[in-house]
Amino acid sequence: MPNSVVYTLVITAAPWVSQAPQTALMFAREVLLAGHHIDRVFLYGEGVHLASSLSTPPSDEVNWSKEWSQFLNQHKIPATVCIASALRRGIIDETEQSRYELAANNLRMPFEIAGLGEWVESNLSSDRVIYFHGAS
Amino acid sequence: MTTLIIVDQPPYGSWAGREALDMVFSLAAFDQPSALLFIGPGVNWLRTHQTPAELGQKSAEKNLSAASLFGVESIFADQSACEQYRVTQERMLPGVALTSNIQKILNAHNRVAFAG
Repeated sequence: MPNSVVYTLVITAAPWVSQAPQTALMFAREVLLAGHHIDRVFLYGEGVHLASSLSTPPSDEVNWSKEWSQFLNQHKIPATVCIASALRRGIIDETEQSRYELAANNLRMPFEIAGLGEWVESNLSSDRVIYFHGAS
Repeated sequence: MTTLIIVDQPPYGSWAGREALDMVFSLAAFDQPSALLFIGPGVNWLRTHQTPAELGQKSAEKNLSAASLFGVESIFADQSACEQYRVTQERMLPGVALTSNIQKILNAHNRVAFAG
């Protein structure tokens, strides 16, 4: 597709505090519908809470973590959670659980924990990097 | 292709500024050109003689003074915000370029991001 644009999405606000993860998901769906590509989704700062497998909203509310992970799985889009942001906020995968000898892990698949280097790389490989922030 | 990261939050009250700095430092660590712009209450990052030990937090000043060492190309600050918060030249980290035209700074960078 000649006019196809490659996007990276960065989410820096948490679900149920901010609408940012929801807005980002709507944007992501439209990006694909319009025939563009998403190189990566990057969770930073408070945005890492989106990757928790333990979020359990009431059954009549949308589970944004689950919605996002289904979307990522369906379209095979890689999603990175910033390791420094994640560790501070208790978003832990098996590797970090054993490294820090923690009681549990809670990273929702297909999110992966990695460094800001992934974000730097996405800056280089994407045409556009779009940020979804909460109110500050 | 220089990435400009904007800090509009004061230090210590939230982690947004620190996480913005981490973004700039990692760009620099991967040899990607980067710059910082402090606006609004964010200019308080630039104050010297910060003593945050009683808060149990690391010094924002110390954190920021490593920027040039890491290879961050420029540090800009909004002049009117500096005046508003009385961050005068004598009380400011060295090497900060004051600007009265933020639009010009934004236009000069292909990628601009708030850290959140």
